[in-house]
Amino acid sequence: MRRGVADAVTVVIAAVVAFPLYWMVLTALKPDDEVISAEPRPWTLRPTLDSFLRALTVEDFGRYLANSVVVAVAVVALSMVMAFLAATALTRFRFRGRTTMLIMLLVVQMVPVEALTVPLFFLMRSVGDSVPALGLNHLGSLVLVHLAFSLPFAIWMLRGFVAAVPDELEEAATLDGASRFRFLWQVLFPLVAPGLVATSVLSFIHAWNDFLFAKTFIISDADNQTLPLALQVFLKPDQNDWGAIMAGSTLMTIPVLVFFILVQRHLAAGLGGAVKS
Amino acid sequence: MRAGQGRAAYAYLAPALLVLIGLLGYPVYQLVLISLHDYGQEQVSGGAPVEFLGLGNYRALLGGEQFWTVLTQTVGFAAVCVGGTLLVGAALAVLATRVRPWARTVLFLAALGAWATPAVAGSTIWLFLFDANLGFVNEVLGTTGFSWTYGRWTAFGLVAAQVIWCSFPFVMITLYAGIRAIPAEVLEAAALDGASTRRIALSVMLPLLRPILLVVTIQSIIWDFKVFTQIYIMTGGGGIAGRNLVLNVYAYQQAFAASEYGLGAAIGVVMTALLLLFTLGYLRALRRSGEAL
Amino acid sequence: MRLRHLVFAAAVALVAACAPVQSGPADAGGDERSGQLRVWLFDEVNRDAKDAVVRAAVAEFEGSHPGVTVDVQYIQVQTRAERFKAAFSDPKSAPDVAEFGNTDLAGFVAAGGFADVSADVAGWAEGKDLLPSVLDTARVDGKLYGVPWFVGVRALYYRTDVFAELGVEPPATLGEIAPLARRIRAAKPDMLGISVGGKYVYGALPFVWANGGDIAKRDGAAFVSTVDSAEAKAGWAQYTELLSDDICPPQACAGNGGDASVEAFRAGKAAMTIGGDFNRKSVDASAAAGKYAVVPLPGTTEGSIAPAFAGGNLLGVLSGTGRRTLAAEFVQVLAGKKYQREMYEAMGNLPTFADVQREVAESDAFLAPFIATLENGTRFVPVTPAWAKIDAQAVLPTLIQQVATGAQDVDTAAAAAAEAMNAAFAS
Repeated sequence: MRRGVADAVTVVIAAVVAFPLYWMVLTALKPDDEVISAEPRPWTLRPTLDSFLRALTVEDFGRYLANSVVVAVAVVALSMVMAFLAATALTRFRFRGRTTMLIMLLVVQMVPVEALTVPLFFLMRSVGDSVPALGLNHLGSLVLVHLAFSLPFAIWMLRGFVAAVPDELEEAATLDGASRFRFLWQVLFPLVAPGLVATSVLSFIHAWNDFLFAKTFIISDADNQTLPLALQVFLKPDQNDWGAIMAGSTLMTIPVLVFFILVQRHLAAGLGGAVKS
Repeated sequence: MRAGQGRAAYAYLAPALLVLIGLLGYPVYQLVLISLHDYGQEQVSGGAPVEFLGLGNYRALLGGEQFWTVLTQTVGFAAVCVGGTLLVGAALAVLATRVRPWARTVLFLAALGAWATPAVAGSTIWLFLFDANLGFVNEVLGTTGFSWTYGRWTAFGLVAAQVIWCSFPFVMITLYAGIRAIPAEVLEAAALDGASTRRIALSVMLPLLRPILLVVTIQSIIWDFKVFTQIYIMTGGGGIAGRNLVLNVYAYQQAFAASEYGLGAAIGVVMTALLLLFTLGYLRALRRSGEAL
Repeated sequence: MRLRHLVFAAAVALVAACAPVQSGPADAGGDERSGQLRVWLFDEVNRDAKDAVVRAAVAEFEGSHPGVTVDVQYIQVQTRAERFKAAFSDPKSAPDVAEFGNTDLAGFVAAGGFADVSADVAGWAEGKDLLPSVLDTARVDGKLYGVPWFVGVRALYYRTDVFAELGVEPPATLGEIAPLARRIRAAKPDMLGISVGGKYVYGALPFVWANGGDIAKRDGAAFVSTVDSAEAKAGWAQYTELLSDDICPPQACAGNGGDASVEAFRAGKAAMTIGGDFNRKSVDASAAAGKYAVVPLPGTTEGSIAPAFAGGNLLGVLSGTGRRTLAAEFVQVLAGKKYQREMYEAMGNLPTFADVQREVAESDAFLAPFIATLENGTRFVPVTPAWAKIDAQAVLPTLIQQVATGAQDVDTAAAAAAEAMNAAFAS
């Protein structure tokens, strides 16, 4: 009986939490006159895809979507490998400067990103002089900065997961004659995979949502814009096209949600690994 | 210390360090330099020489009355957001351990949705839901025409609710997993000893959850102290006459939008120092109670 | 321990000795006569109409310049600041020609972004017909940094049906607006007497100017704020009176800028508003269509017109361009009489040539109040990079909002604004 009450409470809470999302999709599906109606209704009898079509056709939406996916996936892949190695070093080895390094990883997360855009801009310009693909106007520049901003958090989170793997395992593997390299990739890596999944979600969101660097680094090459900039198209000064904004937001949220649901099974286990640190 | 550990450690760290030093270390160093100079758009694009100001930017910043008001607001706002996020996240994590799997799945899916929503989109949706004339909330409450973003406290409250909405899932899911990771035998043993539920929660589960609470709390403090998008979008850049400004938006308005990068860098340095102070204070308090980093 | 001191000393030396990175001074690029000319124009709600005219101009230009192609990119108005700043710091990414707002001019010129085109305009046959007061908005320290492409001025929109129903006439002086608006709202509580906004600086400035005040005055080489002069304060008081519960309640209006102010009029929820000639198309496609008229915003005495803000966009040549001559020639085509005329037909943009302006005014009665406002003389914001800062820091909106919400009286709010402005002028 009490369990039933708890279930009911849970569902009500879930409904409240999901309501803004429902409203977003609903608004995107409503015809224009219902969107700006003075008596908003939580349903519509005349769903239409007009807003989605506007969002999809007005600008080069597919292109921007693809760019955003490329950047986010590249950031996730690179940050997972780098953070895994770094977290292993920071948990399984004792060396000078370890604690300082951990504190520094927190400190760099504290610096407001806006304050770093100007130095990063010049840095990217110099990088571009030697490696064009990683410089201004190229997606590479976005991958680089998001990688840098994702790493500190990823390393912090992964530290807990690596610590949760017992030391004896490594000793056993070494006795079996496995090289350190093999141990790392064939034993340790699969064991912390849930943790990698969890942290990768955060890296994904980070890269996916960025607006600041996209508008600072991609100056003249419109083909390399990312999705958040495409969303701006609808926030016209003259009339806020709520239907299209909501459609754009929905399209923006779906890929992240898909990514989430795909990893959801691993997610809870993954984030929980930090507990054993 | 095993021989060669240091060298091996640095070999593992090398790729990450390379990226971090190059892409964060160097810009942070530049940031400190910039904060000591008069550095505007003219200087950036090479139209004028940079002038060394020493602590001039800091003096200008800390001497302004508005900075202190904004700082107080930011601390208060971040405290409410962090407290709310931890409270909601923890309560729902506990609830999730006590319901049937299907109900938990529903809750997690909803939470993941809130978490996955980009900040810009999330803020816009909330703004629309609470719109004075077109919003559903006013329609339900029968308060059509009431502007939630006009008053200082309703505006702060609304933004805080949005921030909690999109950040509690991280806490909830992390803590839920943490609770699940506590070995069942530990809890059973405590129950056999006749400890009450309350006592088990406080003296058995809480200590075990400390490390995870540490990470979650520090991250929440860092994120909420630096909140930008939600305030910027939902209060139209800081509210009527700037009464909803928080530090990051203030920095944008006073410095970055006006191309006063020297001043902006100084604000960045001050914010980092403050956050570091909070975090170190928190870590020290933990250490006193027996936790180490 | 000693090592630590050494490191600290080295760090101090490093910080003290180095200056932050800078872009090298933009080299005065080459002057190639072929290749690709890159152009940035602002994106618009109805971009297709704009694009059609631009494409015609491009075709004409390419036809008369063999071996030259023109690449037009539309950029978002909202992100223009970042785009331009980035372009100034990385000439490789910069366009050769760009459209930009005249209020951004001083900051862009100080950043070294745009080239002096005084000589090009002086040697251009059509150049002499450009309106002097409009040309002034393209001038910094006596030099021209762009060709005015169109101007925008604001006037008073009002609902003819509401006025007829209540038997009232449009206000003849600024002072009549408040009582009239109050009367309308009393009769029609669902309507705003006049839709104005706490962030609508260009709507408020005519009140200041009409009362004999100004934003700032030149004092030698520097500017000094005058927003707290007695005349200016009379203007602020007159404007903020409109932001009261019985005219335009602060709850609904204090957060509004110009677009949101006009939006309420479009939605049929306001009896009057201050709108620009550029708002016409959107109002014609709204609930107020066919039920409105426009008169110049009156001055303080009957029959006078309040000085309006001369908004508008310029076409300029980037200082880092490698195709200086081609760029200037393209500006003369796109901003020339022929395409200004076409741009007026496509977008309703008011031309900047005296003769073209007169010509379109004669053919379109709607324009009469705007042309009258222009001929009455327009005013502009202080031409200094500090204006960009004052604008970003929302100094004047804060002044209006402080008074409108009752948090401060006009004296206090104006004094605070003057102080903030002077700090910006001084830095």
